[in-house]
Amino acid sequence: MPAKSKANKTSGNGSKRSSNGAAGPKTNAVRLNQHGIPDWRLEHPEFEVVEISGGPEVHYEIRGKLNAPPPPIRESRYLSKEQHLELYRWMVLNRRMEQALENLYKQSKVVGGVYFGLGQEACSCASALALGADDWFAPMIRNQGAQLVRGFHARDIMMQYMAKADSPTHGKDGTSHYGDIEKRHMVSPISMLGDLLPVMAGVSLGARLQGKELACLTWIGDGGQSTGVSYEGINFAAVRKLGLVLIVESNLWAYSTPTEYQVAVKDLANRAVGYGIPGVIIDGTDACQVYDATFEAVERAHRGEGPTLIEAKLMRMKGHAIHDAAAYVPKEMHEFWRKRDCIDRFRKYLLDKKWLTPAQDEKLIAEVDKEIDAERDFADRSPMPEPSSAAEGVHCEDGCHKIKPKYGVPKKAKRAEGKLKESEAAIHYK
Amino acid sequence: MSQATYLEAIRQGLWEEMEQDPTVFCLGEDIGVYGGAFKVTDGFIHHFGPARVIDTPIAESAIVGAAFGASLTGMRPVAEFQFMDFIGCAFNQIVNMVAKSHYRWGAPAPLVLRGPAGGGVHGGPFHSQNPEMHFVHTPGIKVVAPATPADAKGLIKSAIRDNNPVLFLEHKYLYRRIKEEVPDGNYTVPIGQARLHREGRDLSVITYAAMVHTAQEAAELLAKEGIEVEILDLRTLSPLDRAAIIETVKKTNKVILLHEDTKTGGLAGELAAIINEEAFDDLDGPIVRITALDTPVPFSPPLEHFFLPKVEDVVRQARWLHSY
Repeated sequence: MPAKSKANKTSGNGSKRSSNGAAGPKTNAVRLNQHGIPDWRLEHPEFEVVEISGGPEVHYEIRGKLNAPPPPIRESRYLSKEQHLELYRWMVLNRRMEQALENLYKQSKVVGGVYFGLGQEACSCASALALGADDWFAPMIRNQGAQLVRGFHARDIMMQYMAKADSPTHGKDGTSHYGDIEKRHMVSPISMLGDLLPVMAGVSLGARLQGKELACLTWIGDGGQSTGVSYEGINFAAVRKLGLVLIVESNLWAYSTPTEYQVAVKDLANRAVGYGIPGVIIDGTDACQVYDATFEAVERAHRGEGPTLIEAKLMRMKGHAIHDAAAYVPKEMHEFWRKRDCIDRFRKYLLDKKWLTPAQDEKLIAEVDKEIDAERDFADRSPMPEPSSAAEGVHCEDGCHKIKPKYGVPKKAKRAEGKLKESEAAIHYK
Repeated sequence: MSQATYLEAIRQGLWEEMEQDPTVFCLGEDIGVYGGAFKVTDGFIHHFGPARVIDTPIAESAIVGAAFGASLTGMRPVAEFQFMDFIGCAFNQIVNMVAKSHYRWGAPAPLVLRGPAGGGVHGGPFHSQNPEMHFVHTPGIKVVAPATPADAKGLIKSAIRDNNPVLFLEHKYLYRRIKEEVPDGNYTVPIGQARLHREGRDLSVITYAAMVHTAQEAAELLAKEGIEVEILDLRTLSPLDRAAIIETVKKTNKVILLHEDTKTGGLAGELAAIINEEAFDDLDGPIVRITALDTPVPFSPPLEHFFLPKVEDVVRQARWLHSY
């Protein structure tokens, strides 16, 4: 167990800063962990999941302090009042859309399962909002909110789940497995975890060759980062200082396996030390912390300084997918995190600041619901795909796509005049 | 036209494409200052600069993933595998990320994965394999395996210009062993077209890569006995040139399928099925397969020699089939 540093103890309570949200002097001290990694959280929960195998059934229990009140929201150094309200709306839309998906599932209108990001809306929406207009992102299954923030409609996601002809993949794939390289710069995830990391490093590399430094945001869970390709991707980005912005969502459960059986380190941000890149720990249920940390990582990427690893502490508040009731999660753990619901906390923060009134909140939610209803009706009306279209599109045929550099023709290196000379060097196997 | 080895022909094709298209760049292990384990990119970094000839960590999934990511921005990456045996390390990235990309979400992936495959150089189980069938079986990636210097040059240029991912298998046994006239300049060979390597009336050998030369040697011996062998060099393994396969079977009515890859699940099985479906009535004898053994590639020279298909295997089987 890492020793807790008393010297760096956080002040823990509300900010003394002016409430205009602009950058200003730091008030809440930031704790640094033993590796010098900044920990922006205002609360450091201490508990662990233990496996109990003495009785008739092996099960998990949680040990530690579980009665602490939720911490305050840390004031953002970058978000304006208007951006706070915009962010709040995205988070509400994210949640309401997923509730609509659940209803569609119950009406048997969904093909296969539904995945939720309940409890992770701040992590999806605030990070996506921190990207620049040209930046790229690649969401994982619990980052459906990021897709909304970056310009997709709820109906796109709904039609993906409903396997409709008008879905972004025209029924070829489901869930959040779609993308757009033209306008919204979203790389489609695949079901295998970690493979997006080198891909996003490659997007940054491709843009750099065209003279553009991009931030390329993706997320991974405490489970997903166990894969070897995660290491390969981050390491490649680190070596070449590529603009990968990686949010590790430490959401405590990888399907049914607790983090304790996934990794031996307490803070996954510590792995940044091994990669030789900056790492930071944030409260993933505090939208302001998510925004600020991502914003700084994005700025770093734009300056060509390389990747950043952001560990967001939070909990997956539903099962792996809709079929999974998550009965393996100890109840007290669920209750602890429910009190830290990212939307409830952010709403209270906005109400306390008088940036939002209860009446405005009600109106906002009603508008979101109206939007969701219209999106759902659109999705519902879309036909199923033509069966024979299954045979189309394996290859990019002549003329179906024009390949051209997005950010300008790469400049040729001004090297000495040279012609290809025959290679006479010794080789490995003759 | 000038004489070039198989290796120099690949170098020429790659160099010319990098000269004329600034979106083409190379990445891979030790390809920069060192010039690659087989020196395919020898001198490239001095001419094109380190931004376009990128040494990577020893991480094949990262190499393929980064190539794919860059291709999404409109670049045409050429990723080198130091040995094709290591492609297994990037299997998921190729099969699930790259090959399915256009079908699933409409994103083209104009990238080339190239490197040395094949045995005969006593490289042992991890420096000699022929991994083509893992990828011939994967919809969405093209697979090319040239047998001659001219085809190697023409096909690497076509592979780079293709809007789809292309696996370009270079046979390391051929790198510096064969030399021929190679057209200069803008010379391409279309992907998906087989090449009639030798005309003959008595039976057809359908093959590719280094085995084209094994078939050629056998054909010269058989010609002395009055058996005229036709050799079809497939050049592209996916998509297959079905018309050329059927045409030669209809002409000679007897066919030997020859490859250096192992037998079970090898391309010969697929070719036999195509011939069965489309030219069954034209056959005057059983389809013969000549392949490597169903074992890993052994290291010791006598073992590897035993493992690989040989000229005498082709001669013996051709005599038998001819007299059938």
